[in-house]
Parts: sequence; C-alpha cells; structure tokens
Amino acid sequence: MRPVTTRTTGVLLLAFLLAGFLLLGALPNQVAGIRVAGLSLLWWYGGVLAPVMAVLVAIRWLAEPLPAPSSRE
Amino acid sequence: MTSVARILAVWLTPAMMLAVPAALAARGPDGLWLGLVVTLAPLIVLGWGTGRPAPGDDPRPGETLFPVVTLLVTVGVLLWANIALAGDVAAWLGARRWQGIVITAAAGWLLTAWRPLRRTAPLLVALAFVAAVVVLLQLAWALALGPIAAWDRVATQPAFRFPPSSPWVISGRDLGVVRGGARLVFDEVHRLTAPAGGVLRARTLDGVRLAEIEWTLAPGQTVTLRAGDEIARGSTLRLRFEADKRVPGAPASGMVWADGRPRRWLERVGLAVTLLAGAAALLRAGLTVRLSGDGVGFAAGGLLLAFVWAQAWAVYAMIQAPDLFLGGITLERLLELPAHALFAEPWRRTLQALLLAAGLAAFLASSLALRERLGALDSTGGGEIGHDPGLWAGLFGGAALASLWPVDPWALSLLALGGAGCALGPAALWPPRQGRTAATAGVVGLIVFGGLAAAQLRGSGGGLLGAAIAYPALVAAPVGAFVLWLGRRVRP
Repeated sequence: MRPVTTRTTGVLLLAFLLAGFLLLGALPNQVAGIRVAGLSLLWWYGGVLAPVMAVLVAIRWLAEPLPAPSSRE
Repeated sequence: MTSVARILAVWLTPAMMLAVPAALAARGPDGLWLGLVVTLAPLIVLGWGTGRPAPGDDPRPGETLFPVVTLLVTVGVLLWANIALAGDVAAWLGARRWQGIVITAAAGWLLTAWRPLRRTAPLLVALAFVAAVVVLLQLAWALALGPIAAWDRVATQPAFRFPPSSPWVISGRDLGVVRGGARLVFDEVHRLTAPAGGVLRARTLDGVRLAEIEWTLAPGQTVTLRAGDEIARGSTLRLRFEADKRVPGAPASGMVWADGRPRRWLERVGLAVTLLAGAAALLRAGLTVRLSGDGVGFAAGGLLLAFVWAQAWAVYAMIQAPDLFLGGITLERLLELPAHALFAEPWRRTLQALLLAAGLAAFLASSLALRERLGALDSTGGGEIGHDPGLWAGLFGGAALASLWPVDPWALSLLALGGAGCALGPAALWPPRQGRTAATAGVVGLIVFGGLAAAQLRGSGGGLLGAAIAYPALVAAPVGAFVLWLGRRVRP
C-alpha cells in the first residue's frame, strides 16, 4: 500500500473544500442563502473561504517535499 | 514548462478567464461553482502523486505518439476557441470579425515562431494580470464601492433595468451581434426604436394566442411590445431600447440571481470531473512536475487572484451594465468596459485599450505556454514539435480559418479539456508501467467521450444520462480509469 504523503493530505483537503460547496448548496430551507455581513453563506464559502483555504492548503501540503534521506527510500 | 507562470498561462486562457465572470453573471451560484473548480482543479492535479514513472518505465518512442497527437489536437482546439473569442470581441466592439482574428492569430504565430520572443510567457502573464487588475481597481474606485458592498447591491436589486447611459438606449445596437441563446422575452411594455429601420420579427401574445408578426420599420420608427412578447431570433436590425425598463432575459431580481435555480448537483459534478481530467491532461500528462513551496504559493495565489478578479468583474459589470443580460451573456461582452458614463474620454478609451491588452497578453502567454507544453512531450527530448514553424503556422492558420464562423469559445474549450482529459487524464494521474496500457485506456475513454458528445446534438435530458451527455467526461473519464486499472491487473 502506498504511504499517505503530505501531498495526499493536501489533495484530500482540496477535494473536501470542493465537496463542501455541493453540501452547502444541498442544505434544506435555503440555509445557503442566509445573508451574513452582506454576502450569503454560499457566496462566503465558495467565493472567499474555500479559495483562500485552498491557497493555504496548497502552500502547507502540496509543495514538493525536500529530498528525503536515502534510508527512507 | 513547470514554471508557475507557464502553468497559469496554460490553464488560464482568455476563454477560461472570461467564462467564470460570464457564468457568475448568468447563473449566480453555478458560476461560483465553476470559478471554484477552475481555481482548485490545477492544485489538485499538481498535488496528485508525483507523476514520475517508476524506474525503467520510460516510454518508448512509439508510445508517445498517442499523447502527442491528442495534445496537438487539444492545443489546436484551444487556440481555435480563443481566436474565435477574439473575433467575437472585435465584432462586439464594432470592428470586423476577421480583424480580431487576424491580429491575434498573427501575433500568436509570430511569438511562437520567433525564437527570441519564446521566453516571454511569464512577462505576458504578469502584464495580463496587472492590466486586468488596474482596470478593475479603477472601476471600483470610480464607483466608490467595495466588492462585498457591490455584491450586496446586485443581490438586493428589485430588477435589472437598462441604465440611461447604455449604448442600447443611446444609439442602439445591432441585434445580429447578440449571440447568446437566451430568449428576448419582455416582462413589461417596452417601446423599441429602429434608428436605421429594418425588419423586426416578433412573437406576440394576444390573450392566450401566439402570433408571429413582422414589421418593416422606417428609420426612426418605433414599435411597442407588451409583456410576454418576444423578439424572434434572426432579427438583425439596429434597435434602441427604453431606459429604466427591465432587460429582457435578465433574472427577475437580484435575489433570484444570488440564490440561483434549484441545485443540479450531478451537472456540477460533471463539470468538476471535466475540468479535473482536463487539468490532469494539460498540466501533468507526460510531465514530471516539481513545485517548490514558493512555486506552489505563487500558482495558488495566481489562481486565487484570477478568481477574485472574475467575481468582482462580474458584480461590477452587473451594476454598471445590466444590459449584459440582453439575449444571454457571452464571453466577448465581458471585455467591454462596463462603465459607459463613469469615465470621460480619453480615460475611458485608455481603460478599454488596457482591458483588450490584458486579453491579448493572456492569449499570447497561453499560446507560448501551450507550445512549450507540447514540446515537452517530445520523446527525443529536443522539443522539435514545439519548434516547428510549419506545424504552428498550420495550427494558427487552421484555427483562424475555423474562427471565421462564430462558435461558443467556452463550449469548445470544455470539449477540448474533456476530450484530452478522458484520453490522457487517468494515465497522467496513475501512470501505468506500459505506455500501451495508457494508450488503450485513452482510446476507450476517448471513444466513450466522443459517443456521448455526439449525443449532445440530440439534446440532453435530466438525471444521470442528461448529465453524462452534457458533460461526457463524467462517464468517459471513469471508464478510461477503469480500463487502465484492468490493464495494470492483467499486465503486472
């Protein structure tokens, strides 16, 4: 089995960020349309929170790892 | 090819960049989903695995033929989409369609053919970003409205009405340049004027009876349409609309726009699969991508900046030019400065020129980056395919010729990304030991994609089948991945 690398973690987190939008949009009673500080929840998430989180996830988890010591290969 | 600017240039073609604000304006939350996927898809595929073939698994020369041919066709279709967009922009701004096509195609070919200019992609990407952001900031400053306040204003509008400064109100515009598919149905009584005269065809609603009417209007003559009446497609005369009347085809209100229609999550998944597979093919197939922490940060930051720009641009455009909705939103309309009365000349013309320069710079950067992308697949390692002036003259020439006939640049881009994604995407993310397995999986994926794409001509219904026909990669990419998996099991 392949080891779970930090990049795998990053890819999974990005996929969760995408799935979060679908989930939020599917909530009943127009929850996604609730306005908070000028924007609806869906737009806060899809337009601000998820893209910013994606950048942070990419910086933290997606960079090519430094060359590992030979004993780990 | 792995430089950040080139990754951004390959992915953020002008058609892609404008598709997001166009979708945001036209479909609200669906556009937001598109923007989010466009932003995250390249990061997901760049982070996926290493893309490095196992030792001893280097492809033999014959095995690179399939990916090279597939990417060559993909690059050709992407060039076609973007050159067609240039033709649309020229026609929308009052020039000849062929002028926009010739300028962009010739500049693109010159840049790819002239060796000293080949390393200018990063500079062009930076120029495109700076120019687009400067125009946006100028617009926000002139409106004295931040992006969130602007969104709030759009989302609380009771209706989208023609502003008195709209060109559709002041001088009128030719209906023939409206290429969107939306119907021109009126919600209230509206008096139309034909400044140059012409034939206007309409479907009028008389009680419950529909009637087809054709008026031959003298220059300056007016005709009044009532709620429920519709201008028939194919009318090509210049028309002037009334100020402060609802724009035909616009959402009923800002709230309707912001909350969108009932969720169609299968289609959203289909769009995501198409773009993820397309990103895998464009950014990963046959390449070893290694990005440092700074590189990933710049790539992610560039994608975020592009998404923020697209959102703000869509919202400001809807505030300043709600006539954007007339007949359906098409990409070229987003390259017109949406502020007809906000800036005096020559400032307005300067900003418009800057906006066009951003679009041209983005196209040229994309052309250069796509050429390098293709050259990087060359099995000899010399990248000859990227340096063949005859081949690239043929590609640009063919794309320019095809662009003389209007097409939907975004639909064409999605077709190219979906096709390439089904052919190359699975193997790019899970590289098999043998190139033949990858080619078999790619061919099967491509055949399924082609079959479903052909079914689009018969229209798509609802449910899974409808989503699969609307986004063929939704089925074709998993089928390709399954064949790849089978091939790996059969040939250990």
